[in-house]
Amino acid sequence: MKAETKNKRLHIVGAVAMALGVTGAVSANAAGDPGREVIDRKCASCHLEGGKLTRIPEIRKSPEGWDMTVTRMGIWHKVELTAEERRAVVKYLADRQGLAPSEAAPFRFLTERRPNMQDTPPDEEMAQMCGRCHSFGRVALQRRDEAEWRKLMHTHLGQFPSAEYSALGRDRNWWEIARDKMPGRLAALYPKNTDAWRDWSRAKHRPADGRWVVAGERPGWGAYTGVMTAVAKGNDKYEVSYELHFGAGNKVRGHGDAVIYTGYEWRGSARLGNEDTRSVFALSENGSRISGRWFLKHADEIGASFEAVRADKTAKSALALVTPHMLRAGDTATVTVAGAGLDAKVDLGPGIEVVEWLGKSAEQLKLRVKVASDAAPGLRKVVVGGRESDKSVAVYRQIDSVRVEPAFGIARVGGGTNPPMTAQFNAVAFLNGPDGQPGTDDDVRLGSVPATWSTEPFDERAKHDEDLRFAGHMEPHGQFLPSFAGPNPVRRGLNNVGNLSVIATVADGDRALNAKGQLVVTVQRWNPTPLR
Amino acid sequence: MRMLPIKKARAALVVLCCAAASLPAFAKEYLLTVTRPNNLHVVDPEKREVIRTIVLPGDGIPGAISVPKDGKVAYVLTNRMESVVGVDLDTGKPVFRADFSTPQRRVKGFFAVTVSEDGKELYAHQAPVQLGRSEYQVEDTYIAVFDTADGLNAKPRRTFPAPRRISLLAPTGNPDHVIALGWDMYLFNTKSGKIEKTFPIRHWERPGMGEPDVLAMWGTYEQARMLSTPYFVAKTDVPTDSPEAFKAGIAMFDLDAETLQVREFENATTVMFSSVINPARRNEAFLVMNQLSKVDTDSGKLLKRVDLPQTFYAINISGDGKEVYVGGALDKVSIHDAETLEKKGEITMPGGADQSIGWMRVVKR
Repeated sequence: MKAETKNKRLHIVGAVAMALGVTGAVSANAAGDPGREVIDRKCASCHLEGGKLTRIPEIRKSPEGWDMTVTRMGIWHKVELTAEERRAVVKYLADRQGLAPSEAAPFRFLTERRPNMQDTPPDEEMAQMCGRCHSFGRVALQRRDEAEWRKLMHTHLGQFPSAEYSALGRDRNWWEIARDKMPGRLAALYPKNTDAWRDWSRAKHRPADGRWVVAGERPGWGAYTGVMTAVAKGNDKYEVSYELHFGAGNKVRGHGDAVIYTGYEWRGSARLGNEDTRSVFALSENGSRISGRWFLKHADEIGASFEAVRADKTAKSALALVTPHMLRAGDTATVTVAGAGLDAKVDLGPGIEVVEWLGKSAEQLKLRVKVASDAAPGLRKVVVGGRESDKSVAVYRQIDSVRVEPAFGIARVGGGTNPPMTAQFNAVAFLNGPDGQPGTDDDVRLGSVPATWSTEPFDERAKHDEDLRFAGHMEPHGQFLPSFAGPNPVRRGLNNVGNLSVIATVADGDRALNAKGQLVVTVQRWNPTPLR
Repeated sequence: MRMLPIKKARAALVVLCCAAASLPAFAKEYLLTVTRPNNLHVVDPEKREVIRTIVLPGDGIPGAISVPKDGKVAYVLTNRMESVVGVDLDTGKPVFRADFSTPQRRVKGFFAVTVSEDGKELYAHQAPVQLGRSEYQVEDTYIAVFDTADGLNAKPRRTFPAPRRISLLAPTGNPDHVIALGWDMYLFNTKSGKIEKTFPIRHWERPGMGEPDVLAMWGTYEQARMLSTPYFVAKTDVPTDSPEAFKAGIAMFDLDAETLQVREFENATTVMFSSVINPARRNEAFLVMNQLSKVDTDSGKLLKRVDLPQTFYAINISGDGKEVYVGGALDKVSIHDAETLEKKGEITMPGGADQSIGWMRVVKR
């Protein structure tokens, strides 16, 4: 009944807008853009006053931010867009009212959907006023002026009236703070007009087509190197093919597509091997590198880091990966350097001698190295073709300590329409560093190591409640699979939640090292938004 | 008095409604509860069964229930907190409806609705927002007063300003007063619209105590005529890692005496959502969520606690103080002995319907 009334109102407003000649408001360079056409035809039925668009031009956001806005307008105001219209309007807005790379950089972990991350709001008030219901990053990936931030506050309480009744809302004059204080604070932190955006929006950006040497690490699988080829399909669209090598004999081929928003925000989908994946990458400002994360379409907690260097004539010894990262003193090892424009001159630092070349190409160098038995433990910068890189190798005699990463992980029970969320753990080896103590800031990261995984009750309470029995089980590669959601009559109010210790046991020669992390198996999340 | 059978469109409900359609002529207690999508149930706690299900008009989801002293009409907050519907418990027919919102203005009532004891006026705390074409405008909150005789298209007869974030309203023994629970408790004169007295809760000044956290969404007061709610509060005069640093307490407002009493009774280890006072022994309070707890409010001691097979949000009690009812979540109302807290019976909502966060209200007929 209500929706009908509303729709009717929208139609009337739309008709009025048409009569006023909305198309006259379109700037010359935007005319004909399918996204702009959607704005004029659909959004303007409400967001138009005196021939000018309201609200929409006052905001800058990430592609995900705009997509969530469009989705919200559909849910709240019954704005019906086809998938094509939705893509067009998000592209149009993210390109013209996006974020500069430097503005989006601090919150890439959120855009990339990295699991087990916790964002750090600037202060307690921001954390409680904004970050108690959604990530603070969702706020920080928007730009508005004070009046527009204030309008967002009105929208918040109008749409989510429980905000002033829920915990950390009811203990204060939430609305007065939201209306009177937050808009100014937010506008000071995240204003609409910035030098960064002015410069970025005026600059020309390098397209992403061509060949890229890629590398990364997938927790549970290990490091990979490979090649990605992007073929331009017009309007920032690309057809993309992948060939990834996860160690000997594990070659994964893939094919998919990608769209570049705002000149640098790469959003792709691909079938890699037998898995459907999504990629969230960013091109570097000069367009020579790409970095980010790809993850499974239906389980974004499972994914891999991604780094790419452009393999064209301008590339000069640009490194994507040096593997393995850890070299034991006294050993002979095969080292692979992946990159572009590689010059077959490699310096791995003191105590590491190249004894044999196994492969020399512009994209891959393969060499046998002998590590002196008295080589000093620690990191060495890798120098290729006389150019120091940001890559390193580490020499060690023995692993001093192991850490479980993440140290605190979350899995969610699942079932029915809401699948479980697993948790992938990784064992990482460290040297103690100059202070000789494990677990301190000067520890030297050696890299991921194979481990045997097990779980234990985290504390006495977990032991008493038999969390181990109910919460789920650990796979051999460190992935925890949680149990089913819903009432478990055997367990009363606890159902299948749990609080567990995750134990990694790592063999280092004859020694065995243990490390412990914490895993909380908790309830489902019902609103899997692109930005949490 | 007899409750007449109700003609129902849905066959399943007809069976439920008419299976036990008549009530005895002497005063007897019935328990009212609500379920999704939009049903009001009349429960005979003695028989341990739902004797009538009334389908409420509108969109659901029902929450707060208020009934005047004569127990004839139940006023239910529903339609996503945007309407109050009054239904005659005998005929099942709607006799009152106030839709708060209009297409241009969304108005929510956050549980704080109550009818006067004589059943003539309905009070609703309202939080409005103007829905402009391209922006919203949050407006100040107020209490709207409806005349229950205004039927199915009732509009407020008058309004008076009220602080934001009020979650409960209850009529006191003074017919001109309602008490409102928000940050503090405000005693409103419903004729003048003025706050006659403020009972500090958030703004209490108690040495060594911080501001209490109160989540009061379940208004239960009709049996002992005491509106009560659990609260949690930090003690500021002990180290933060001390077990004493966070206390659980209960706030009790005596509706006839118009006095507020607060009492901490344990170190906070157990979450409790709602509470009820025993009308037979007014120093006994029962509190519920994953456990059912019994507290002596005179001595501030926890007397007993049992684990419950599921979460329950709402609680009420029989007039003789012998049986405690817990419900307001999933499809069960569980009945417990007030002495031992042992479970004595349970009632399942028709079709396994979810009570969501609905209230339970006792009516005497």
